[in-house]
Amino acid sequence: MNTITHSPAQKMPEVSNVQTVSPSTNWRRMFGLRERGVYYALLLLITVLTLLTTYLGQANYLSVLNLSNVVYQSSLMAIMAVAMTVVLISGNFDLSVASVAALAAVILIGNADAIGFIPAAALAMAVAMAIGLINGSIVQFLGINAFIVTLGTMTAVRGLVLIYTDGRSLSASDPNVIETMKAFEGGRHDGFWLILAGGVVLLALGIIGLIKAASAKNPVRPSAVGMTIGGAGFLLLAWASGGELTLRNPVIYLAIFTTIVWFTLSFTMVGRRLYAVGGNSEAARLSGINVLLYKLMAFVFCSGTAGFAGILFASRLRSINPAGLSGAELTVIAAAILGGTSLFGGAGSVIKTLAGALLLFSLTNGFNMLNLGANWQGLIEGIVVVVAAAIYTVGGNKSKSKTGG
Amino acid sequence: MQHDNPIMQLRGVVKGFPNGTLALRGVDLDIEQGKVHGLLGANGAGKSTLIKILSGAYWATLGEIIWRGKPIKWDSPKAANDMGVATVHQHIPLVPTLSVLENIYLGNRGIWRLASSSRRDYEELCQRIGYRLDPDALVGNLSIGERQMVSIMTAVGTGADLIVMDEPTASLAAEERELVYATVRRLSKGENKAILFVSHFLDEVMALTDQVTVLRDGTAVLRANTADLDEDRIAEAIVGKQIAALERQAQEREPTTGKARLQLQNLASKGRFGPISLDVARGEVIGVAGLLGSGRSELLHAIYGSDRDATGTVLLDGEIVPRNTGAAVKAGMGMVPEDRMAQGLVPDFEIWRNTTLPALGGVSVMNSMPIEDRERERGWEAIRMLSIKASSPDILVKELSGGNAQKVTIAKWLFSDVKLFLLDEPTAGIDIGAKTDILRLVRKLASEGQSIIIVSSEFEELLAVSDRIIVLRDGQCVAVRDGHKTSEHELLLLAGGQAASTEAAVH
Repeated sequence: MNTITHSPAQKMPEVSNVQTVSPSTNWRRMFGLRERGVYYALLLLITVLTLLTTYLGQANYLSVLNLSNVVYQSSLMAIMAVAMTVVLISGNFDLSVASVAALAAVILIGNADAIGFIPAAALAMAVAMAIGLINGSIVQFLGINAFIVTLGTMTAVRGLVLIYTDGRSLSASDPNVIETMKAFEGGRHDGFWLILAGGVVLLALGIIGLIKAASAKNPVRPSAVGMTIGGAGFLLLAWASGGELTLRNPVIYLAIFTTIVWFTLSFTMVGRRLYAVGGNSEAARLSGINVLLYKLMAFVFCSGTAGFAGILFASRLRSINPAGLSGAELTVIAAAILGGTSLFGGAGSVIKTLAGALLLFSLTNGFNMLNLGANWQGLIEGIVVVVAAAIYTVGGNKSKSKTGG
Repeated sequence: MQHDNPIMQLRGVVKGFPNGTLALRGVDLDIEQGKVHGLLGANGAGKSTLIKILSGAYWATLGEIIWRGKPIKWDSPKAANDMGVATVHQHIPLVPTLSVLENIYLGNRGIWRLASSSRRDYEELCQRIGYRLDPDALVGNLSIGERQMVSIMTAVGTGADLIVMDEPTASLAAEERELVYATVRRLSKGENKAILFVSHFLDEVMALTDQVTVLRDGTAVLRANTADLDEDRIAEAIVGKQIAALERQAQEREPTTGKARLQLQNLASKGRFGPISLDVARGEVIGVAGLLGSGRSELLHAIYGSDRDATGTVLLDGEIVPRNTGAAVKAGMGMVPEDRMAQGLVPDFEIWRNTTLPALGGVSVMNSMPIEDRERERGWEAIRMLSIKASSPDILVKELSGGNAQKVTIAKWLFSDVKLFLLDEPTAGIDIGAKTDILRLVRKLASEGQSIIIVSSEFEELLAVSDRIIVLRDGQCVAVRDGHKTSEHELLLLAGGQAASTEAAVH
């Protein structure tokens, strides 16, 4: 009975719900546009850019150097987008991330000379998390819509930045502090062995998962397929790099951070409960889950992460302009939406958000390489976001009407 | 009971549904001008179907509807409305963000949002009804009673001659009810309107109506002038006489004795229900009988700690349970809420993920990481144990039918050490097969020593499963009865009639 459903092409679109969710794997769903659209879009974009750059005789887009550049450029936003995904899954929304990151950067730069890098960074993180706590408390205790509350704190926190800096740029001057910042943000490591080992581990885990599912006749889990493909991708990258693969610190931070959040969301009780809280908060509450705490902690987590991103940003420039990171919240939210995160809560994946962020920065990077100028960039980016949202929404409705009928 | 021409007559109305159920099997009904006509019946007797036919939402499969002496067939609520029939629905469909005035004239045509003529009409309407609300108040800020009045004013404002009121007092407090009664009397006696008044409360039917029709199983079993009746006869007509089978089962049980598992001490929630004290033994099934708005769901939520405003003490096995759901679950309570999709389940989760949600620790390693294989096994177990009709635990619960979804909300609590089950209308809106499964499960859990508190509008079911039944009315516990010593008839009188004088209900 497994063999029949393994050939998706033979399935009629009208197949009723009971059949498509039989214990065998639903490949059509697993590789469907709705589930995996962001990966296809990313692959498509990279292919197009590669072909274009080759055709136009410019530097090859698909070089390890360029790809690692894209990842580096996206790292800051991607870190915030991963945290944003957590807030969105919990059923809330946070517009204030960019302002909070800017405030953290300002606090770091403003105090590092006097009290040292680490105390200043700790102070910045504490302030950022406090703002998250304020956001969450207003949303949860007063019952005001998160969009409105964080629209307010976005503006107010940016105001704090202006007050703190008096509208001027700040920069760090103590050589010790500058050294620490350089090391923190600009450090480079040879990542070849890391990528190679990661690829092997992922591939092994993925294949074990596939074999287990096949032998137990259980449905194959998307995570097993994902790990297999991801592992193969890492190995390919390691092979293409020819033994020299430099990873910069923000990329490593991004990788570690995303892995932790992904693991927590996918494999722990905390993650499961977070999805339940976002999917139906009343049902979660009546199942004995502390809904308030989860929603509050999601805000604190998001703002704390924004604070970390701010510290990273400040360390990169070692100075900060009070208007720095303005508008970044929209890029962050766009990345999460491109990754298919639901604005209504209860659904989302940080790996897809990461792909969404990479997609946005690949666009930017591609525009630069093709010398198309920044003028067209906003238009194209906007269209991509709307098209992605349309695919998720319309695709969702279609599957609903199918199962309903 | 020959009177002058009824304004609305139904002759042999039959309503069948495509799935084969016959909701009405030939109902005759005469509603006269200037009279209040009471319509009664148990759940599923066909009241709502009849109302929907009168208001134009359904077509009658067979039979005649005669309006002002002419047979008619209207095809939409709008058509019925235009001909002079207005309906006041039980769940008041108003727009909370608009004003009273705008809500009342929402159906009117015209370009301007607030034509000055509607203000004039409104004042006139208030005069007629003898009740006035600030026309510019937002409906969202009104009390439930005031909203009900807005709803009635809307119906009257259409100029209808027949006004159908579907349980207009169900969720109102006593003084708000008086207001509705006064309005109904004024409309029928003063304005010569015909009113069809649907209610579960026997006393208000006795006091308010001129004639009564009782439906049972889709037929009118009693039609009489109210003056010739008493509450007893109405209750008898509603219940019928074929409940012996279920009752016998109730009598066979021995009375449960033993240490109190749950103790409620002066549990109350302001504005919802009054202080209730109760001891529940191990293995005991307590039925909660009460009409909509009697405080029955609120009682369960207060016990479970999901009502933050509740006062009083809840002890489980002698330990005080703090007032939050997490503590309740930890202490060993399980809640199956009334609205399964909105309160009981995460619709986008599969069966297995819903099943393990309250007791994730049991399927986890190091009490923190759930193992998917174990969870899926739980899902399979739930499907087997409760005969859930699903081909695999990977099906999303939003794709399940009502009865099967309900079984999942119950299954959630079967895999941990739950000592007290709180079931709020566990059988509402599900088919008879699933209903029997669930009731059987309740008895099985009780025989294993678990305690159960079950709320149901179907008193027949309470009688079938309960050791003791407490009757709530207007948030007060008006009686406690042994399950095998009472009858549906008595419960009906207690929950909806005057017979429930304030008895010492404390146990």
